[in-house]
Amino acid sequence: MNRIARFFESTRRHFEKGGKLEKLWPFYESIESVFFAPARVSQVAPNTRDNLDVKRYMMLVIVALLPHYAFGVYNVGYQSHLASGLGTNFWPVIWTGLKAVVPIVVVVYVVGFAWETLFAAIRKHEMSEGVLVTCALLPLTLPPTIPLWQAALGISFGLVIGKEIFGGTGRNFLNPALTGRAFLYFAYPAQNSGDAIWTVLSGARTAAVDAFSGATPLSIAAVTGPSGSIQTAFSDAGYSTAKLFFGLYPGSIGGTATFLSIAGAAFLIILGIANYRIILGCILGLLCSGLLLNLISAEGSAPYLSLNPLQHLIIGGSMFAFAYMATDPVSAAHMQGARWVFGFGIGALTVLIRVYNPAFPEGVGLAVLFMNLFAPLLDHIEIKFRLRKRIPNV
Amino acid sequence: MKTIRVKKGYNPKVIGSPSTESLKAAQPTRLALVPEHIPFMKLRLKVRKGDRIALGSPLVEDKRNTNIQLLAPGSGRVADIRFGPRRVIQEIIIQLDENQKTVEFQSYSQKDIDKMSRDALVQTLVTGGVWPLIKELPFRDYARPDFVPPLLFVSLGSLEPFHPAPQVYLRGNEDLFNFGVSVLNKLAEGRVYVCSHRADTELASSLNGLVNLTYTGNYPAHDPGVLLYHVKSSPAENRSWFVDGQDVVSIARLLRNGVYPTERVVSLGGSGAPQPKHLITRMGAPLSVLADDQTENETWRYIQGGILTGCGALARSHLGFSESALNLLPEGNHKGELLGLFNPGYRKPSFSRAFLSAMNREELMMDCSMHGGERACIACGYCALVCPVDILPQFTYKAILAGEVEESLEHGLLDCVECALCSYVCPSKIELFETLKNAKAEFYKEKEQDH
Repeated sequence: MNRIARFFESTRRHFEKGGKLEKLWPFYESIESVFFAPARVSQVAPNTRDNLDVKRYMMLVIVALLPHYAFGVYNVGYQSHLASGLGTNFWPVIWTGLKAVVPIVVVVYVVGFAWETLFAAIRKHEMSEGVLVTCALLPLTLPPTIPLWQAALGISFGLVIGKEIFGGTGRNFLNPALTGRAFLYFAYPAQNSGDAIWTVLSGARTAAVDAFSGATPLSIAAVTGPSGSIQTAFSDAGYSTAKLFFGLYPGSIGGTATFLSIAGAAFLIILGIANYRIILGCILGLLCSGLLLNLISAEGSAPYLSLNPLQHLIIGGSMFAFAYMATDPVSAAHMQGARWVFGFGIGALTVLIRVYNPAFPEGVGLAVLFMNLFAPLLDHIEIKFRLRKRIPNV
Repeated sequence: MKTIRVKKGYNPKVIGSPSTESLKAAQPTRLALVPEHIPFMKLRLKVRKGDRIALGSPLVEDKRNTNIQLLAPGSGRVADIRFGPRRVIQEIIIQLDENQKTVEFQSYSQKDIDKMSRDALVQTLVTGGVWPLIKELPFRDYARPDFVPPLLFVSLGSLEPFHPAPQVYLRGNEDLFNFGVSVLNKLAEGRVYVCSHRADTELASSLNGLVNLTYTGNYPAHDPGVLLYHVKSSPAENRSWFVDGQDVVSIARLLRNGVYPTERVVSLGGSGAPQPKHLITRMGAPLSVLADDQTENETWRYIQGGILTGCGALARSHLGFSESALNLLPEGNHKGELLGLFNPGYRKPSFSRAFLSAMNREELMMDCSMHGGERACIACGYCALVCPVDILPQFTYKAILAGEVEESLEHGLLDCVECALCSYVCPSKIELFETLKNAKAEFYKEKEQDH
């Protein structure tokens, strides 16, 4: 402990006023305060303050995301070995996964921190921890084959356009990680859509082995024609319910693991970080609109309409987005009632986009962004109703 | 009897609750009038350094209403007058004489009070210097003497850590309290609520049915503003009055004995108090006679009032005009432990569930550390979860910062009871309470100027 404390004591002067690196003070402060909470006391009432700060709040989200990274590394390696016709022993698979995932994460964090430091230095305030979560979320939504420069561009767009130009964490109205993801999707469709992008090929291979299809459940569901059946298509491709639930299939780096998302959501709800109203609202909205489509599907309509709503919940990244993206407190609705509506809207739109817009196999990201836009309106309506009940005091 | 159940709020569990033991504090050689934290009063000095004064003679008057005066808590020589920034009168220090001279006021019996007109009673209280103990909601300035309040609340006890327990200051003074309440009944024309916690059945029975409103729930369920918020049925009741239980005894003493009342029961609490207890002392006593010097390595913050709403005070200063609590907390002005961020936090008190302390029912150590840096609001909504009067502090403070006075009023700014919980729970360390309180005070001052 002493050595670390001494390291900070000796380096601090370079970053303090008058030091060579004084402009980088926010960067230094953000690192130091992770190791040692700053010595700062209350100047005005209340004299005592809660132990919770934004750092802890955001750190807990990252803790919830760590299992997704572990899963993501394994899954990326596993799919890669399957597609390349290699064995699936544990350590080689992990090694392949690490080789694919770590560079993306490193690039995203380095670029993200650079932007955040720049804006914090110009605005002369401390770095906000929101960037840590954004940088942790974005790679989990990316395909493992993404070129690193695109990952850098994605986090840049997400942070700068999605957040910083509005004033930084707390003043953004869109989820920054999803903004970056959506930008990549629309700007570089070749590297961000289709079936081939979800699997990293090992060695010198340019195509997967014949036995490996690489098709994601979402794309299978979307392309199944009126004469076919999704259930048959799923079982032909080897997608049992258990496989869909555990997420061990080609997909974004860590977003397919529905079971981890449910565990993470429970973790964050118990700790009071994520709001259960949003998550339950999402699930409810998804099930309701899935059910509605079941009801209106007739003979000859696309089989996607009659997909079991529960299957909508476990395929793709819907649960991941519900647990970690929709619950971003800043861009979500702020009022308790509005949070239900906000969540419900996300769930319902997810199904509608998936089923009616085959150009976007995974609709949940766009659904979250779309509802982000409506969150202030929902809040406004609820506040108006609430204020009406008050006995005026002026 | 009516019971108010307050669902929101929060009880910080902190070490150092004063025992119900009460001791006589050492006799001080000097006393001070400390008007610094009385809100809104514009003071004009009526004495100069070196003047000889008697107990109960006026020291300052309020420029807004010169009838309202603050009287000397002891007889002797004005040893010093301390000014703060912008010549705010902080302390008027009186070196006490051996022979205490007192200004004689008239004394009254219950019968006299019954026969008296309301106006004459008001006049007696104003001349006797106890009028500023009667406060008016929502701004908590002293009550307007020419106004008949819609309701008057007498609060017995506080849920904020730590204030004197009513059991202690009423011990042996039940008759005086009874007399005081009858005086207030005359002022409020019978519309008086005497409020205590529902669990305090012993207290209620010792007062022979005087208690007519009880409350349950977390801090600040005891606050007259919270009780009013739950009791009121129309905007006409917003300007209700309130008096603290101990001040009711003071008012009764003035009328009974005809002497300016200066006795005070002060609670001494917090983790810095070696033996948290109650002390019987006088108004304006030096803090040094209440709490011995702390010799340990930690620097201590002397807080006059509760640990949330109280003001930090210098160890050499004196007890404030209407203060009856002294709490000592460690400053905590040092860096946190290595990687404390990742500590499960079984001993770190928090309103949130982000620490294991959520499962810890013990009283915990609290200090004055901010526990984090200032950030923009992340809309966690904790402030709205604790606000006892259903304000949405996260929206209201934005309205205030944007200069939207009307909107903030619509949000219930004036219902704010100044409990400071919003600032306490904020993970972004935003000074919500300070913003709301200042906005409220600003609004009041502007309103006063218009009249």
